[in-house]
Amino acid sequence: MTDTPAGQTPEGRGCPAAVVYAGGYVNKLDARRLERECRLKLGEGCRALVINFRDTELVNSIGVSILLDVIDAAERAGARVVFSNVNQHNLQLFEMLGLTKHAAVADSEEAALDALRSSSAASVSGH
Amino acid sequence: MPTRRQNKSPRERRVLGRVPAEHFVGRDAALAQIAALAPHASGPRGVTVLAAPFSGASELLRQSYDNLFGERGGASPVYFAFARSDRTAARAARRFLNSFLVQLVAHRRDSPEMLLAPPGLRDLLDLVTPSDYEWVERIIASYERARDEADERAVVRLCLSAPQQAAARGSRSIVLLDDVHSAEHLAGDLDLGQEITQIAAQSDVPYVFAGQRRRLSDFFPGLDDRSHEFAPLRLENLAPDDARRLAENAAFERGVALSAETRDLLAQQLEGSPYFISAVVRAAKDAGRGLTGFGEFQKIYVDDLLGGRVGRRLTSVLEEIAPPLELRRSLLRVLHESAENVGGRSPVEAWGRRLGLEGESLLNVLEGLHAHELVSFNGTLVQAGGSTPWRDYLRAGYRLQVAAEPRALVVADTLVEGMKRAPQTMARHYRREASAGLRELLAMFDQQRVPASLLHNDRFNRTYRGVTPEEVASGLDAETDLVRLPQVVHAASCAAFHPPMMLVCDEERCAVAHGFDASPYTDASEVVWIAAEIDSKLEAGRALAEVWCDRLAQVSHACGFRRARLWLVAPEGFSAEANDLLNEREAFGSSRAQLELLSARLRVEGRAKADEASPDEFEMVIPMGEDSELIAASTVEQIARRLDFQPEAINQIKTALVEACINAAEHSLSPDRKIYQRFRLESDKLVVTVSSRGITLPTANLAAAQTHENNGHDSPEAGRRGWGLKLIRTLMDEVEFERVDDGTRLRMTKYLRK
Repeated sequence: MTDTPAGQTPEGRGCPAAVVYAGGYVNKLDARRLERECRLKLGEGCRALVINFRDTELVNSIGVSILLDVIDAAERAGARVVFSNVNQHNLQLFEMLGLTKHAAVADSEEAALDALRSSSAASVSGH
Repeated sequence: MPTRRQNKSPRERRVLGRVPAEHFVGRDAALAQIAALAPHASGPRGVTVLAAPFSGASELLRQSYDNLFGERGGASPVYFAFARSDRTAARAARRFLNSFLVQLVAHRRDSPEMLLAPPGLRDLLDLVTPSDYEWVERIIASYERARDEADERAVVRLCLSAPQQAAARGSRSIVLLDDVHSAEHLAGDLDLGQEITQIAAQSDVPYVFAGQRRRLSDFFPGLDDRSHEFAPLRLENLAPDDARRLAENAAFERGVALSAETRDLLAQQLEGSPYFISAVVRAAKDAGRGLTGFGEFQKIYVDDLLGGRVGRRLTSVLEEIAPPLELRRSLLRVLHESAENVGGRSPVEAWGRRLGLEGESLLNVLEGLHAHELVSFNGTLVQAGGSTPWRDYLRAGYRLQVAAEPRALVVADTLVEGMKRAPQTMARHYRREASAGLRELLAMFDQQRVPASLLHNDRFNRTYRGVTPEEVASGLDAETDLVRLPQVVHAASCAAFHPPMMLVCDEERCAVAHGFDASPYTDASEVVWIAAEIDSKLEAGRALAEVWCDRLAQVSHACGFRRARLWLVAPEGFSAEANDLLNEREAFGSSRAQLELLSARLRVEGRAKADEASPDEFEMVIPMGEDSELIAASTVEQIARRLDFQPEAINQIKTALVEACINAAEHSLSPDRKIYQRFRLESDKLVVTVSSRGITLPTANLAAAQTHENNGHDSPEAGRRGWGLKLIRTLMDEVEFERVDDGTRLRMTKYLRK
């Protein structure tokens, strides 16, 4: 799993967007790690989160429920969440369980960051 | 006159068998089970023959003996029957030693004639083969020493352990012990049953124990715990076809003329008992008469019952249970009166008062009757039972010995009653043969879903009347309104629950099945199906249906069933008015045709289940936790690839399996912390079964998941942790929870779409 060291974001401290990387199997353990990192970023003032699923083969329902907790926490902090690099199967799963109603999905990390940089939410492919 | 059928090729020699091997019918499986016992073989080390009274257990052992005797070079068979006439355990043990050595030597010398005039122990030494001389001499010397020292305990143990001593010196045997219940009456310091069980358990010598089934486990206290070593062999009376064959064979052997009709009556009236059938044919031979009509048969039967072998045998049973004449007379009276009260039960105190007995004396009598299956005694209540010959004997015996009626009158009345009963007996037999087998059908209910029209006669008539069988079959296949049958855990005749039903209905035409509906084993899901087959040449009318609904409801009420489903079956179905009534009463109604269609469907399901262990099946057990579901997912991926599933479908199967594993780990409180998985490949689908021990998935979770799914709306707080099942249902084509005794089993099917 590729991990972004805590405190590092593409935009630097206090920047509006941070990227965290999901593991190969997003289960309870991995999702809790993601949640912790995301909460840390939000606490640091990030107002946009990109969760990159490039390494993720499988996501289970517990992982999904924790991802929803992350989305809730982001909403409360006035931040936006974008999922990137989600494979087709996991995307289907996210749609099935309603995640994509609350988080945008981008094909790549760059696309996600571009979308977040722009002022218009419409540039991010929402579902 | 029927011709005799050869059942098997005759053996060269009959040694102990009382009938020729080729005339010994209906017991092939039992013979094979005993024959399969061999020293040092894997599997059970012995067999416990749990025999119904007069079902021919002794002849089974004798025939087994003859089979084994014919196997030259194999283990030597040894047959020994315990007898009350031995009086003491020591005498029985001595007789056993003698029988053992004689039979062993006879077999090794291939000299069955030795058994006709068995030599004494010392004389045996002159006959023993040189290779056996040393150990036989040693056993005899040890026995004589113990006997001279008057050490009863040592004598008994030494005699009983002779097979083990012989085995230790290379002389293998198989010990067939008959009438073992008789040993409990033998006096002595030792518990003979315990001694034999211990000796048998501690050696490789195979044993066969035969005796009264209701006493065998009492006599051998440890036998139930050793059922894996001593396999039970349940011996019932013969099935009708076998009983008829036995009658034919016995008549042929003795040169007794036998008509087909009489043969059938004989088999029915004597309830398939090999003992009674053989006894009546032998009585006919002794009397020099044929069995060519019902009248001839009844005369022979009544003569034998009141003054022949059968009568003496039944009298000896009563004498054994109640030796004093006065007590026997009282017993005859009480038994006769109780037998007249069909299905009636009386408190044990009432029997005590009527017999003038109490305490241990009363207990001994009741236990004796129970062991012979003349009554059923559970410690507090007594219910009269026994076969037709036994009830005939009681009735006649009571009139002769208690009421002191003239013998000629009793004989005449018994004959007349027999003649009147014969057509009824045969009619009952024919009805039974033609019956739908409701009890067996109910017992096959195992939560299958069946087309509702099979249980609703009005719907079936509307849809399928006048339609070809092929169209009916395809129509049923296409039906979407399905009834889920209960999981039946017990099915029995209605009369077993409510004896008065026997007055209005044959036993096999009304059945009661206890079970559970689809939900878990709770009071709420408990249900009792009461089904009856009713007679009606045409469609059953409303009045008839109402009578039967009332009857079945009465059974339900009398038995205290909390929730009952009534199901009536009429040969031609029901009239429109009768169907209206069934709907009003929420009862099911089927014609015989519907019943047969239902039966065929259940049998197909049953076969499918039996076929489950196919070569295209994989099993895997993984521990709960530590992401072990990934191992399962990886495995199912490989298996799914074999069937050429598309990558998307493979991912769906993997996710569903992961969710099933998580469900099992989260909800089961599993004691072994293991998840059992089975993957079955079929031509067009993959069936994955995931099970775990522990508590079943809570109903609330299931319901929540289903509601969530049905409503299609997301409420993150309420539903986030109940998504596993929803996911599974969405990703797989068929998902079903199967009931297991302890835990949950989830069955998921994915169809192949290329």
